[in-house]
Amino acid sequence: MLRYITMISALLLGAVIIFALAPDAIEQQKKDPVTMGGTVKQVQKVKEGSMPADHDKQAIDCKSCHYCEYPTVSNPCLISCPRTDMVSVHHDPSEGPEIVIMDMLPGEWGAVAFTHKLHAEMAEMSGGCASCHHYNTTGPVLKCVTCHEPKRNREDISVPDLEAAYHRQCITCHRQWSRTTDCDYCHFEKGIDADKARKIKMEKYAGKGHPVVLEPERVVYDTDYEKGPKVTFFHDEHVKLFKIDCATCHHDENCMKCHDVRLDKLRTPKDRDYTVKTHKSFDDHHQPCISCHEKDNCVKCHLNTVMERFNHYKITGFDLTKYHDKIACNKCHIGNDYKVKLNSNCMSCHSATFKPGKFNHNNVGFQLDELHADLDCSDCHAGNNFMVAPKCADCHDDFAYPNKRPGKKLMLPNRN
Amino acid sequence: MEHEVPQQVKHKFFTPGVIVLLIIALNGIVFIAGRFLFGLGAVTNLDQQYPWGIWIGIDVAAGVALAAGGFISAAIGHILHKDAYHSIVRPALLTAMLGYTFVAFGVFIDIGRWYFIWHPLVMWNPNSALFEVGICVIIYLSVLYIEFLPIVTERFIGKLNMKGIFSFLNKPLDKLLRALDSGLSKTMFVFIIAGVVLSSLHQSSLGTLMIIAGDKMHPLWQTPILPLLFLISAVAVGLPMVIFESLLASKSFKLKPEFSLLSRLGNYVGPILGVYLSFKIGDMVIRESFVHLVPMDLPAIMFLIEMIVGVVIPMIIFLTPLTSKSVSWLFWASSMVIFGVLLNRINNFIIAYNAPYALEAYIPSYGEISVTLGAASMLILLYRFIVINFPVISLPAPSGVHNSNK
Amino acid sequence: MIDKNRRNFFKTSALFGTVALGASATAKAAPENILSDDRKGVLVDVTHCIGCRSCEWACQTAHDLPADKIHDYHDREVFKEFRRPNNDSYTVVNEFENPNNELLPINVKYQCMHCDRPACVSACIVGAFTKKEDGSVVWNTDMCIGCRYCMVACPFQIPTFDYHKAIQPDIHKCDFCYKRTQEGKLPACVEICPVEALVYGPRTEIIRVAKHRIKRAPNKYLDHIYGEDEVGGTSWVYLSGVDFQTLKFPKHGTKTAPGVSESIQHGLFAYFVPPIALYAWLGGIMWVSKRKNAKQANEEKI
Repeated sequence: MLRYITMISALLLGAVIIFALAPDAIEQQKKDPVTMGGTVKQVQKVKEGSMPADHDKQAIDCKSCHYCEYPTVSNPCLISCPRTDMVSVHHDPSEGPEIVIMDMLPGEWGAVAFTHKLHAEMAEMSGGCASCHHYNTTGPVLKCVTCHEPKRNREDISVPDLEAAYHRQCITCHRQWSRTTDCDYCHFEKGIDADKARKIKMEKYAGKGHPVVLEPERVVYDTDYEKGPKVTFFHDEHVKLFKIDCATCHHDENCMKCHDVRLDKLRTPKDRDYTVKTHKSFDDHHQPCISCHEKDNCVKCHLNTVMERFNHYKITGFDLTKYHDKIACNKCHIGNDYKVKLNSNCMSCHSATFKPGKFNHNNVGFQLDELHADLDCSDCHAGNNFMVAPKCADCHDDFAYPNKRPGKKLMLPNRN
Repeated sequence: MEHEVPQQVKHKFFTPGVIVLLIIALNGIVFIAGRFLFGLGAVTNLDQQYPWGIWIGIDVAAGVALAAGGFISAAIGHILHKDAYHSIVRPALLTAMLGYTFVAFGVFIDIGRWYFIWHPLVMWNPNSALFEVGICVIIYLSVLYIEFLPIVTERFIGKLNMKGIFSFLNKPLDKLLRALDSGLSKTMFVFIIAGVVLSSLHQSSLGTLMIIAGDKMHPLWQTPILPLLFLISAVAVGLPMVIFESLLASKSFKLKPEFSLLSRLGNYVGPILGVYLSFKIGDMVIRESFVHLVPMDLPAIMFLIEMIVGVVIPMIIFLTPLTSKSVSWLFWASSMVIFGVLLNRINNFIIAYNAPYALEAYIPSYGEISVTLGAASMLILLYRFIVINFPVISLPAPSGVHNSNK
Repeated sequence: MIDKNRRNFFKTSALFGTVALGASATAKAAPENILSDDRKGVLVDVTHCIGCRSCEWACQTAHDLPADKIHDYHDREVFKEFRRPNNDSYTVVNEFENPNNELLPINVKYQCMHCDRPACVSACIVGAFTKKEDGSVVWNTDMCIGCRYCMVACPFQIPTFDYHKAIQPDIHKCDFCYKRTQEGKLPACVEICPVEALVYGPRTEIIRVAKHRIKRAPNKYLDHIYGEDEVGGTSWVYLSGVDFQTLKFPKHGTKTAPGVSESIQHGLFAYFVPPIALYAWLGGIMWVSKRKNAKQANEEKI
């Protein structure tokens, strides 16, 4: 039983790695010039009716795929793969097949039953579908064999053949994980037919998927920079507050980041403050940060101690936690200029919405009754200063808030 | 002046030294048998990184160089007609003949398919330096045998005296020898000139051999003028070799050394070494290869030994009057030149060859050394046998005897 | 006597000259050495190689050399020591540490590079080596005399020899699967490579593909196609992400391997003119010195 579990988990973890390096290749392709050596190599023939159905509805420059002005069905003058621009449509993992059987190629080994859905889920953490479907037209997801010929001995050698395409996708990650190139890691023995392979695989992986990745709150990097060896990175802020897309930073990541075979254990986000030491070049290390923090100097990030979390109230006196914690910084700090002190008066931002009849006092946990509803804001909020809650006694001698109120007290909506 | 004619040396063959040489030769023969029975790998330390060892470096390359006395003395004696030096021609010819025989033998045991040694005769590759060396050595060896034939005819004409059932052969054989002798005496000049031309060609091509190894050869030796350097050094070692042999032979057979003649020959050596040195230094300056002396590693040290002991010091000695005053100075100076050229060939073919993927350096095996020493011993023994039985060395003529064939 | 000798001299000289000229006429039978425009090549992309050593197995099988089961070739233990092609294995894969990612070691396959201007073809004493039209450098084992000069000459130290065979020891090296390619098949190693780290095709196309890969991924590849210009170009070319010297490739210039050697050979033997000239010159000296000697002798007699 224990062996069974170990095997399953090993396979799972191995599978996690599959897209690890693929995004690298994709990123490279993005930057590519149009065709090899600047010349168009050959004309790809399109089968009648194989043109994507929603072809004309795509908001893509025609030149991404066609090198001539007026492509026709008989002469689509398609730029040969891989093209400069990636035209990949994102699909949900559940849209794809659960298992893909690969048994087109003859050889020593039998079919491969590829757990497509599982891998697609894993891919969600990095490059998405495009990790493998690195070039796709706008229509349905193409099969590998559309571009990759199943024959090794062929005319066009600029694109790898099908066998190579499959293997490069799988082995590059799997060999890092398992440190083996054994065929039976993926292949069934010869003689096991597609249906049987599918069945065996389905039994093994039924209901299994990659666990949801928990994001670390912060990561502390140990660096060689003497003046400030500690770099603290608040991951949650960057994701939630700055709304930075995962792939912006995690574009050439590999599964080893979590599944570290060197440490022989799974690095889980439980080790929230784990320190990370990687072997990358200066540029590789700094590029993800500098692309935004271009105006900051070293000590912005490099400190002698672990940085404290940014606290808006402590520094500015303006508490964001009440109503403003989900608003992106640059919504108020226009142009990301944080040095300019903003007016903390509500009306300086909310002049359009904070109007009699328009402002919903329910939001602050207070429902105005009809007696008060018609009053002007400044009748209660002297000088339109909404920072200070008005007191009953300011108008009414005989009422003492909070014992007596002009309306009903409400429970504040749960903001968490 | 005393009249000297070549004649058989009257000396017994066996001496303690000869016994020692015989043992060394037998030891070599054992390993040669091993090589033919079990392949090169069984006897040698050669491997995929070091395809050539001392059999090529010493037996063949150095052997060819040290046999250069033959064509140098032929050039002096026959082409320039310096009659005074005629007495050195026959011993030098014999050394060359034996030397090249053992070169051919060295090649024979070193090549993997010895039974195809005739292939270069019918399968030509004129681009190959080795092909040229091979062809020239084959032709030159034949030429040397032809040049030596008159000594054989001289030995036997009128002296054939086989007994018993073969006695009837004496007359026709004598006739044949006479016909051969007269034919040879008319055409000999063709072979003599051919011998000199062939020698110049393959002595230089031996230098071309290693050029193709390119970067694999240490820059202290690798240069496009290697063929020229090989030719000059062969010329330079020819006379010291003649001097060396003559002095050794006279010591061994207890004869009076021909000192005045030899020291006159020695006068040529200094200037030739000077030419060699100037070419070598010039080449080093032009290609700036002298920087490779700085690390003072094995190649650099070997190079310095080769140049200082083998070229500079003997050149100075030969340029001073020392060599015309003392036999031992002449002997040691000649020995140093011979050592220098020997070391140069070893350096070029073994030390300079930098096998790119070798895990350990090539060190000749006991078997390889045995075969090389054995071959050298056999050569010396054969030389001894021939000078005792054939008119090679010039000695004062016994009164009343004049050799009519000379 | 002297006159007769002199007449003989001219007669025999003429005879010798004719023989020499005759020889020079047949000297054109040089080894075949074709550099065709559509010669084939292989691109080895070191960054793709996974070190499965299937190519080694395929090579052994294709050349009837002893081979274990293919599964045994996946054993990575052999990478602990650096290996070279040998007389019983024409191609080997080695492993190097990857400075950028220790989990992705660099595997490199070695075999004969099939030079465009091969040193072995130039060096072989009997002209047994041939550069074929398809770019392969092959040899006729029936001609070989086992001199091993090809091993001395090879800039990549590729030919190997049967040191432990007493009879019919042979030279061994990759033959670019000449027999297979003549039948229209791919070289065995190219056919089996699971990731197509080896791409077979016309050399011009191979170079174009290689250049394009560098252009597409300048961070991944070194801007250097090893073999494009090395020793005048080779049929097999390599792409790598790290310096080729760290992968134990010899550092070579663009000069062809047999270059200087062949020019010297051809200079010395240009239509046999230099040797014949030397012969004539020496003959002249001999004739003059002989006449001088004879005169002196005559004078002495008088």
